[in-house]
Amino acid sequence: MKLLHMTLRTAWRALRRNLTRSILTMLGVVIGVAAVIAMVSVGQGADASVQAQIASLGTNVVMVIPGATTAGGVRSGWGGASTLTVADGRAIEKECPAVSAVTWIKREVAQVTYGHENWSTAIQGSPPSYTDVRDWPVARGRFFINSEEDSAAKVAVLGQTIVEKLFVPGEDPLGATIRVRGVPFRVIGVLAAQGQTSWGQDQDDVIIVPFATAERRVLGTSFLGTVNMILVSTPSPDDAVVASEQITRLLRERHRTPPGQEDDFTVRSMQELFAASLMASQVMTRLLAAIASISLLVGGIGIMNILLVSVTERTREIGIRLAVGAKSRHILLQFLVEAIVLSTAGGLLGTVLGVAAAIVIGQLAEWPILLSPAAITMALVFSGAVGLLFGVYPARRAARLDPIVALRHE
Amino acid sequence: MIETRDLAKTYSLDHDDVVVEALRGVTLAIGAGELVSIVGASGSGKSTLLNILGCLDRPTRGEYRLDGRDVARLDADARAALRNAKIGFVFQSFNLLPRTTALENVELPLVYGDAPEPEHAARAREALAAVGLAGAEGRMPNQLSGGQQQRVAIARALVTQPRLILADEPTGNLDTATSVEIMALLRRLNREHGVTLVVITHEPDIAALTDRVITMRDGAVVKDATP
Repeated sequence: MKLLHMTLRTAWRALRRNLTRSILTMLGVVIGVAAVIAMVSVGQGADASVQAQIASLGTNVVMVIPGATTAGGVRSGWGGASTLTVADGRAIEKECPAVSAVTWIKREVAQVTYGHENWSTAIQGSPPSYTDVRDWPVARGRFFINSEEDSAAKVAVLGQTIVEKLFVPGEDPLGATIRVRGVPFRVIGVLAAQGQTSWGQDQDDVIIVPFATAERRVLGTSFLGTVNMILVSTPSPDDAVVASEQITRLLRERHRTPPGQEDDFTVRSMQELFAASLMASQVMTRLLAAIASISLLVGGIGIMNILLVSVTERTREIGIRLAVGAKSRHILLQFLVEAIVLSTAGGLLGTVLGVAAAIVIGQLAEWPILLSPAAITMALVFSGAVGLLFGVYPARRAARLDPIVALRHE
Repeated sequence: MIETRDLAKTYSLDHDDVVVEALRGVTLAIGAGELVSIVGASGSGKSTLLNILGCLDRPTRGEYRLDGRDVARLDADARAALRNAKIGFVFQSFNLLPRTTALENVELPLVYGDAPEPEHAARAREALAAVGLAGAEGRMPNQLSGGQQQRVAIARALVTQPRLILADEPTGNLDTATSVEIMALLRRLNREHGVTLVVITHEPDIAALTDRVITMRDGAVVKDATP
């Protein structure tokens, strides 16, 4: 006990004797730990926000979009062909057991006017089942119902962005009549704000109207019954893979795609997208942490360097200790403790700086940050380990000194 | 207390081409409680002998019994334990730890020994009092005169209550008056505590203050006299 106490006190005294040098030595570790913590916090914050955004689309959702078709050798790009129909959607609902709800979307950009204001936005036609698939609550008013779908009623549900663009603040959009390509629509609901997707699209810049209404009264497409996207939900995110397989098989059959030929549609589950973007941001986080760790390593080398100088400077002290009965392990311990005290103090200071830096970065860049206790603990433990690792060499050199040579050292 | 037979030490210099014989067969017996000085010109081998007697070094050849125990072939850690338990050192240049109080300097050997921790401070105070430095416990070496520093060093050698104290030119860095004081102190410790004392010196005046003078030349004892 006395030995440990004495060793700690000796270490502290030796470090304080050369305060400036000790602080400069620590600096490498301080910067390393601070960098690791700041980088991981920012990276994990990005992770969390990507996850939240994708979760807002519903991780149990599978998207089906028209794919490349080969018509007489001319291949059109994804979504360019009208290969998906309402009938496909109905068939999926009926024949795929892993599917819990199906809806479809027809979308086109159109000019909308209200009073003196006008705005170009996406007009989306969807049946009322849209609310069964997308987890997107109506903030005020209501969504349209089956009878309105059947009668192709001219009712509309607005995204938050539309409310901001067309209405003066404080004005109640419910009951107002807006015109889409000149056709009057009564506003019956306003959707809750959804924010941007992770690829930067404003999800609230949309007007949703009944599918029949969109098809017959607004968009006036020549391909009646075609859709831009079929959205399918499954009972749980885990069913998405099975559902994707069932949908692919059914649609290939319905579209009479010969074996060996590409699908004329694309099935993509949100789960997949989620996993992919999560992986991307995790790779990023690890990369940042790895780069930051290098500076920790450099800090360790700095500690080793200074300790080697210190061993030389204190050779005579080591000789005195050996002469009065210190064993080589006592000397080893003393220099190891010094290394660990240096690196751990640097680690603590670095933690404080790193947390502060993460918070400042979060505020300045308006990025979400996530302080991870695991990352902080790891950085601290790692800094201690760096001290141990790089302290071993100088400490061994000190411990192997011959007492006679050490005592004679000037 | 000390018995050596045909003690020799050789050093190899320059890739083993040149072999220096620092000690050429020293046979010596020093009894418990003796006050002995070893004199000789520099290079006579007296420091080498002291290093071996102090278990800081091992002989190349020969036997060394300390307190009846054969210690010539012990490894470094065993020698460290032996030094801690049985031997106290006093050096020419005091060799106190800088920026460390007198009390902590005196406590140092106890830290590496077996004495229970609560006794350390009391024993260090006692040793400081025995060398006439009661009250100077909190002083740093640079706040003490040369004579006082050597007293602290003697207290450090004394604190483990060793059977043997080896002093290597203990007065070499001190003026004449202080040298006499330090020698008087060592003599008193020898008389009162019964500790065996071996002093290395090249000054005849200092040697004259001891009971037995061993003269060395070229690595061998040439004269062993009781004045």
